[in-house]
Amino acid sequence: MLAAALLAAAAPALNAQSATGLAVSARGWAIRNATIVPVTGPRIEHGTVVIRSGRIEAAGADAAPQAGDSVLDGTGLFVYPGMIDAGSRLGLTEIESVPGGEDQQELGEFNPQDAALTAVNPNSEVIPVTRSNGVTTAITSPRGGLVSGQAVLMDLLGWTPQEMAVRAPAAMVMTYPRTGGGGRFRRAQQNEADQTNRQVLALKAFLGDAKAYADIKARLAGGAPGTQKTNLAMEAMVPVMRGEEPAIFDVETAEQIRGVLALADSFALKVILRGAHEAWRLADTLAARHVPVIVGPTTTDVGPDEPYDEIFANAGVLAKAGVTVAFQTNDARDSRSLPYNAALAEAYGLSADDALKAVTINAARIFGVADRLGSIEPGKEATLIVTDGDPLDARVGPRYVFIRGELVPFNDRHTRLYEEFRARPKP
Amino acid sequence: MKTSREFREGRRPEQLRDGELRVVTRGEAAVRVGALALALLAASSIAMAQSPAPFTMPVPPAAHLVAITNATILTVSHGTIPHGTIVIREGKIAAVGADVAVPAGAQVIDASGRYVMPGIIDEHSHSAIETVNEFTNVITAEVRMADVVRQDMPTLYWQLAGGVTTINVLHGSANAIGGQDAVLKLRWGLPVDSLLFEGAPLGIKFALGENPKESNFDVPGRARRYPATRMGVEEVLRDAFTRAVAYRTEWQQYEATRRTLKRGQPEPIPPRRDLQLDALVEVMDGRRLVHAHCYRADEILMLLRVAHDFGFRVASLEHVLEGYKVADEIAAAGTGASTFADFWGYKLEAYDAIPYNAALMTQHGVAVAINSDDDERARRLYQDAAKTMHYGGVSETDALKMITLNPARMLGIETKVGSIDVGKDADLAIFSGHPFAPASRVEMTLVDGRVFFDRTTAPTLEHLMQQLQEQRQHRGPGTAERGDQ
Repeated sequence: MLAAALLAAAAPALNAQSATGLAVSARGWAIRNATIVPVTGPRIEHGTVVIRSGRIEAAGADAAPQAGDSVLDGTGLFVYPGMIDAGSRLGLTEIESVPGGEDQQELGEFNPQDAALTAVNPNSEVIPVTRSNGVTTAITSPRGGLVSGQAVLMDLLGWTPQEMAVRAPAAMVMTYPRTGGGGRFRRAQQNEADQTNRQVLALKAFLGDAKAYADIKARLAGGAPGTQKTNLAMEAMVPVMRGEEPAIFDVETAEQIRGVLALADSFALKVILRGAHEAWRLADTLAARHVPVIVGPTTTDVGPDEPYDEIFANAGVLAKAGVTVAFQTNDARDSRSLPYNAALAEAYGLSADDALKAVTINAARIFGVADRLGSIEPGKEATLIVTDGDPLDARVGPRYVFIRGELVPFNDRHTRLYEEFRARPKP
Repeated sequence: MKTSREFREGRRPEQLRDGELRVVTRGEAAVRVGALALALLAASSIAMAQSPAPFTMPVPPAAHLVAITNATILTVSHGTIPHGTIVIREGKIAAVGADVAVPAGAQVIDASGRYVMPGIIDEHSHSAIETVNEFTNVITAEVRMADVVRQDMPTLYWQLAGGVTTINVLHGSANAIGGQDAVLKLRWGLPVDSLLFEGAPLGIKFALGENPKESNFDVPGRARRYPATRMGVEEVLRDAFTRAVAYRTEWQQYEATRRTLKRGQPEPIPPRRDLQLDALVEVMDGRRLVHAHCYRADEILMLLRVAHDFGFRVASLEHVLEGYKVADEIAAAGTGASTFADFWGYKLEAYDAIPYNAALMTQHGVAVAINSDDDERARRLYQDAAKTMHYGGVSETDALKMITLNPARMLGIETKVGSIDVGKDADLAIFSGHPFAPASRVEMTLVDGRVFFDRTTAPTLEHLMQQLQEQRQHRGPGTAERGDQ
């Protein structure tokens, strides 16, 4: 509320271009006398963060604002990088039961040509609700089929999807087929196993085609005679087959993970595991192979033959083994609860430091934007939050949210309704 | 996503819980789950016939004399005791305080550095039952959840591991008046009848809005039925209670005739017993508590008018996601509100849900509970309660009440559970730190003083990893367990 009032009085002047296309204000901000938690370095007590032209200009005990900079008193407050949800549906869904607003899932098994960014609704009510809770940046992914399409990493601010984009495509989203469901009925049946095997073969065949297509394209580019018909699905796979674009594999079990690692070997894929509640079984292997794991949501049931706390404790085992761990909510409306997902993992063995990294810098590293996001360091984009305390603590929340140097007002659907009905006269 | 996953796993429509009724959107189930999932659905319904061996844990012995020492005690009713002792005799709290002596012979639980709070009460649960909805009729007041309780579902143990000790098992929300609830204590592993909460008042589920009017799903094998609008929902409620009033009058006349019967006159013939109307008469007579699923402000007011007209009080509004819009009216009716912390937007009637709902209703004098409606969410109700401090500035004590004393009041069991007071049942959750702090977890859960969950002996991931390690060492090199290096 505080920030909303402040913002109403000072509309930002938009006069510079950021690296990703969103116009950013040249205006300077200084957050003074706050505890700065850079994530990549030791915390700084009574520090100042100076923001200019969308970037962090300085952060430290002796950082000094320029004359004319707007000053926020950070006494008793904490500065953290904005949190990154490494797997969401933001922008692709509004109200789950209303089909008109649903753009998460295409028909068919192989849709690499479909880009989530295309369908992101920048005016979705869910987006401001999410950033108001300190989640400033998110992967949003299509779902369904074996190759669902292209995920985008986006900041939760912008007039158009393209302005929001931080990295597009950020990854190709795939699912490794699974035998058996979860829960009570997971014992696999023979026909089910056959079905899974057929799907694995179909996925391998598809990747084989994509590799051949990419190889031919490379040979043509190298001067070999011949022609190639353009195939949009195959074109979308070319950077994936070249190892330039990572492949996110949505998996659950160790068996699926082994399948993904075999595919990574066969096709030289750069893979990211997501979900993966059994990844702890292969923690050392994943660490040795530098395969990152996006865990969560931790707010998911596990099967009765799994340890009751597996879904919470998985992240801690992985981090201890040296795996780069981030979190996802796999949701839109619940994306704001990303930090509480990490808190549940912290309660079951993930260290506080690793939990914080998992919702900030690790996601930035996994998606190749650690030079821009995920920590409080001079030169990085000023996408940060000012809080009353640990952002993983459900009792407190952000006081101010900055995205690319803009102080973002808390005028989301929920605060608006709150203010409206708080003011209702007594009947 | 969990809901789709559960659908894939072959849960039948009648097993869907309230929130999940949103999932099987009419005509698009196949689109949502895809060919793969449909194949799994077919396969897993076969697999249901041969479930794996059930998960069990040893049943703890009855506790005659127990002392929990050195604990930070969140009594909920009378503040925090920083370094206190709780003495439990025959399952009841016999003493609590800073200067309480440990009686000779007591089994001592050293809770140094730990926090003890009352066992969490989940006011809205669909756990421990074979089936959730009697989908057929609009009014099914005659069916009883107690008839379909199963004591052996692992979720009950997992909920104990989340500090939950009492759950209100409700019928689903497919009909305007659903079935009769069953309040259970999570005495996991004991025979099924031992789970029923002794002396808990009777209750019943009502439901308004999209679910009873079948907006988002089809019931396989039958055509749509009345009501299809919120108008119709009011009408079926009024019709049912109008029938119940007539039925009650019949019985009153019968009893009066019997009382004034003169020698030689023939015995009057009693009215035909109607199990459905019996339950509704109990509602009107204040002997059965109404727990009413609702979302929108208009339908909340509608139900309060109906209740007023038929002379009963609604014990609790369930979900009540727009309760903040009519908080004064809810407070004036003396009705409780059992809501979610921040679950929203899953259907149209949940689009105006705001996480400030609990705070605003509390400010207006409504007793608020935070519930789960879900096996998984039930495991982390303490975290959901903490969110109300952030969204709207609820005090720590009020936030704790939302998962203890307030739901106890809505269920009419507040003299037995819901706070740490002498004479109450020793239903307690022991946390590693403050229950609302991010790194805290449940270490031990007691029901009637018996330790039904103890993390040191629970099947944790850590224990499984130790077992796997020992197996590897036993087998020697070169025989790695599947997947482990």
